[in-house]
Amino acid sequence: MSRKSWHLPRRTFLQGLGASLSLPFLECMAADVKNAVRPKRFCAIYFPYGVSLPRKSKNKANPEAKWQWFPDAEGRDFQFNESLKSLEPLRKQVSILGGLSHPNGRKIGGHDTADIFLTAAELKGGQLKNSVSLDQLLAAKLGDDTRYRSLSLSVDGGVGEATRSSTLSFSRSGQPVPALHNPRLVFNRLFGKEDKSINSRRQELENSDHMLDLVLEHSKSVRRKLGKQDQDKFDEYLQSVRQIEQRVERSEKWLDIPKPKIEITGLHLDADDKTPGDLIKTMLDLMFLAIQTDSTRFLTYQMGNMNGATSIATKFPSLLGFGKNQHSLAHGWNKPGGAEALGKWDRFRAEQLSYFLQRLQDTRENEGTLLDHTMVLYGSSNSTTHNNTNYPLVVAGGDKLGLKHGAYHRFGSDVPLSNLFVTMANRLGMPGSRFVDSTGEMTELIA
Amino acid sequence: MTLSVLLLASALVPAAINFEEQVKPILEHRCFKCHGEKKQKGDLRLDTLPSNLLKDRVAAETWHDVRDVLNLSEMPPEKEEPLPPAELKILTSWITQKIDAVVAAQKHTDGRVILRRLNRTEYQNTMRDLLGIEMDYTKNLPPEALSEDGFRNNGEVLQMSDLQLEYYLEAARKGLAKAIVTGSQPEVFENEFTKTVKDKNRGSHLLDKDQQFVAKLMDYPEEGEILIQAKVRAQFAAGRGYPRLRAAIGYRADVQAPRGFITPVDVTSEDWQTIEFRARIENFPLPSKTQSKFPGLLLWLDNAYAEGRDKPLKARGKGKKQKAQKGPLTYPQIEVASMTFTGPIFNDWPPSHHTNILFPSKSRSNEETYSKAVLRNFMSKAFRRLIADEEISPYLRFFKSARPKMESFEEAIRETLAMVLISPDFLYLVEPSGSSKRPVSDWELASRLSYFLWSSMPDPQLFSLAKKGTLSQPEVLQKEISRMISDKRSWQFVEQFADQWLDVGALQRVAINPNFYPKFDSSLKASMRGETLHFFGELFQKNLSALNILDSNFTMLDESLAKHYGLTGPKGSNFERVYLKSEDYRGGVLTQGSVLVGNSTGADSHPVKRAVWIRERLLGDPPAPPPPNVPDLDSTDPNFARLSIREQLAEHRKQVSCNECHRGIDPWGISLENFGADGLWRKKILRKKIKGKGIIKLPVLAEATLPDGNAVDGIAGLKNYLLKHRRDQFARAFTSKLLTYALGRRLELVDEKSVDELTEKFIESEYRIKDLIHLVVASKTFQTK
Repeated sequence: MSRKSWHLPRRTFLQGLGASLSLPFLECMAADVKNAVRPKRFCAIYFPYGVSLPRKSKNKANPEAKWQWFPDAEGRDFQFNESLKSLEPLRKQVSILGGLSHPNGRKIGGHDTADIFLTAAELKGGQLKNSVSLDQLLAAKLGDDTRYRSLSLSVDGGVGEATRSSTLSFSRSGQPVPALHNPRLVFNRLFGKEDKSINSRRQELENSDHMLDLVLEHSKSVRRKLGKQDQDKFDEYLQSVRQIEQRVERSEKWLDIPKPKIEITGLHLDADDKTPGDLIKTMLDLMFLAIQTDSTRFLTYQMGNMNGATSIATKFPSLLGFGKNQHSLAHGWNKPGGAEALGKWDRFRAEQLSYFLQRLQDTRENEGTLLDHTMVLYGSSNSTTHNNTNYPLVVAGGDKLGLKHGAYHRFGSDVPLSNLFVTMANRLGMPGSRFVDSTGEMTELIA
Repeated sequence: MTLSVLLLASALVPAAINFEEQVKPILEHRCFKCHGEKKQKGDLRLDTLPSNLLKDRVAAETWHDVRDVLNLSEMPPEKEEPLPPAELKILTSWITQKIDAVVAAQKHTDGRVILRRLNRTEYQNTMRDLLGIEMDYTKNLPPEALSEDGFRNNGEVLQMSDLQLEYYLEAARKGLAKAIVTGSQPEVFENEFTKTVKDKNRGSHLLDKDQQFVAKLMDYPEEGEILIQAKVRAQFAAGRGYPRLRAAIGYRADVQAPRGFITPVDVTSEDWQTIEFRARIENFPLPSKTQSKFPGLLLWLDNAYAEGRDKPLKARGKGKKQKAQKGPLTYPQIEVASMTFTGPIFNDWPPSHHTNILFPSKSRSNEETYSKAVLRNFMSKAFRRLIADEEISPYLRFFKSARPKMESFEEAIRETLAMVLISPDFLYLVEPSGSSKRPVSDWELASRLSYFLWSSMPDPQLFSLAKKGTLSQPEVLQKEISRMISDKRSWQFVEQFADQWLDVGALQRVAINPNFYPKFDSSLKASMRGETLHFFGELFQKNLSALNILDSNFTMLDESLAKHYGLTGPKGSNFERVYLKSEDYRGGVLTQGSVLVGNSTGADSHPVKRAVWIRERLLGDPPAPPPPNVPDLDSTDPNFARLSIREQLAEHRKQVSCNECHRGIDPWGISLENFGADGLWRKKILRKKIKGKGIIKLPVLAEATLPDGNAVDGIAGLKNYLLKHRRDQFARAFTSKLLTYALGRRLELVDEKSVDELTEKFIESEYRIKDLIHLVVASKTFQTK
């Protein structure tokens, strides 16, 4: 593990929510820090069902046209419409992308595409097997230097079911990575105080290590007694044991390094589905803190999935005063008044993104900001509901990593979204990447 | 009877499309010109593409692509004549049928139960029963998904991950730390409080809406079971139910205070009585020893009555002491004479949860011999079967390596047992198998049975019958099923099966819009859940006909839901039978709040959701999900809002592509239009104006023509129709759902015969639910691995 010497004091002294508290200290460290290699990060935020896309009628002005999610004109001189207006202060740090989608997603059910937002996979066969998501691919290659390799969050938590997964992250074998959904649990993992001494934790970890060895050995004999189908299922268990072994080893390495101290004032750790505004904001705060403290560099957050039948996020807009549930808002966008109703919800979601980006932008890291070393992808896998093309997408940050922003680009259906993934991966430390159906880089975004 | 059931079942499946007669002529006419012998545009040749998708996977994938371009209207190309809708339908339906068959064949498990992990509920109950400690073992576990059939115990769907395993280990360590005690008998704290604390004007002996009886303890145990006894009496109010006494434990009095509640109890008498609350103290927020701002532990008693519902505890009471009221009371009250706190309580030391694991033994002094005996005993319970010597050895090896590093024997054995609790034999229902099917062993049967009816591990009696090898004898098995159903643990079956089958959880996914329903209190949702579960529980326990689910002359209500429905009901928070008259418009689950509210938008009814619910849950015939890229309903008519939902849906169906599916969906839901999103009968539909403020009222139109041509008018018509024309289909759907849950797996083609037989016997037994459970357990399907 290549941990730079400056990590330790910085981690230990970061205090509070605002960066201001830690600034004086960081400033005096600056001399050491200038030459240090800055972390490169990737973060994806997903929302379901697409956005409001009212058409401009030729003859008369459509009063709802201002709720069109995409800007009216392409290029650097674009104007934000109502939904994305909160991004205006950040326009030099963001790009709006139109016309993109995953070709494999165009063939499947209108509500089935959240699973492949970061994987570009073709869900085929009875098991609807997925493949690795961009964050997990990056984390596997580049995630060695932090306490956690990656962090997957969602509103519903867990893995969900194929085509209605409640996580954006999929491992290299295509298994869904369970997402955390409870803010307190996320906080405790990242920053929680340990109630046991280092020695007893060391002992526990050592025991765990040994236990897992023996369980693995014993499990092989269990596996032999099983039928073929049971064996396939059992391999999930074996794989989990191997993964947790790696995690235990990692924990042992990090044992002597205290977790960053974070004041919980201002964090709504008890927020849940009854208080969606606090819940979403708190999750974004936790992601920000995870980035600021360099606890992890690869993060995903699914702000809802398209399982209208079971997702707790379905009711969020009604609870927040947007009149209808998420699915009804999305379905109603081209009914009278519907474009505005959904547009206001689009605006609310974009404001959450702006808040998150602004915090990253306002926080200094060495000579720059956290945002200039963090690539953030925000979007949905529907343009409007049921429609699996023309994803609404915002790419932000990472301008010091080689991305170029400040424009609205439209692409033809011949450009797969994977080209964006490759463009990002190449600049995050995996040069020469290919991803599923990628055909090359997205030169429009390269500085 | 079998014949009629089978006929009905097959009538529901769309007729198989014949390739040679129906599909090929269309392809010849429309497609072969460019994708045939002469030309193969896009490298696609259809005239030689095999039509047997099951045998040819590559062909199946090509057909899949063909369907996609057809659905997306990419073919035929613009210059050609478009496909008439009827022909498009034949082509896409044929491909869909064939692909579905391929998918089914891939998922094929030969009708065998797949290795199944314990789900959250099962894990929670099993840990509690195994360790004898009440605590939340599942707090940190990731949530689990529902299977396609809507159940949470499907082995295919239940996944494992490293995160999951990490939290299993944590829960095992926490549970074992409590189950195995160390040290000498702890000090028992006993306090009696005859006066409430009067700190900052809080505290009262008479509990009205906002008063609290408060006690403060400076010395208290930090671990173990505690007992709170309250000497109280009720003062009733005319027209109101029983007051509810609730106890809470915490340490801060202000609004941020973390505090935990113990389930409230109705105070049903005006005579002095003692009410007891039991809990484990460590499950509550306790003051930190190092903080000095809020020293001491606080205990509260308050009156949780809110027409029988729970209400949030206010941070502070209104303060003023309740004055004796003149005239009759308007709110039921509780008078508190005293409160005692005792803890930790135990009958013996060490307590039984300790000696169940570390039992007294002569070999105790020899740690190796003793730990082996301890392991054998614990593993046998945890793995739910006999344990062979060689199976103990890895655990013993671990114990020996850990022991020198640990301070005490207890610590080392706790860690060793934690290893047992992350083993696959504990976390999964492991049933070894070869290539051919076999009857399950008695041990396996004991587990299948207990997880079916109790959602937990077998109890000592089931274990002992399994050990004797007599459990599978039909007369023994019958007796055991009856015993298990009478046991209160069978409530787990009601709570799991009925909740999942009827999707009672939908209630929690809807937020009722206060603009339309200002009086709806969201705590009613808990009562609505209670109604449906207790209703099913009553049918199950009393072995009544399942046809009551379609229509019944009673329902189960508590005080608050009866008031919401405008019915005369019980006085307290217990659910009791309330008989219904036809003018009440209620009876059967279709009229229960859980279905009506759960399948609404929160602002209005949602006929499509309700219809899908009926077809999926009651008829076992779920409609297909929406296809990709279906066109949106492009209605620019400003009067759209003035249309009733029935008319809006009719507009929707004018589009051919929508009508294909929706003509079979919408009418089912239309007939429930008389019920609003709050579950109440309505004569007008409220709708928000598009322009300007205000609400418009539309008449309810609940007449519908069902897909088979039968016309029904409203809920009464629908229920009559279901009982008359769909009774056997319902019986078959219910049997399938119950069997699916009992097995923890999807049903397959090979199970059809078994479902038919069970349905037939179920109908013969006059649709009695308990009888069906006996039939299911006795079936070969249930007893085969």
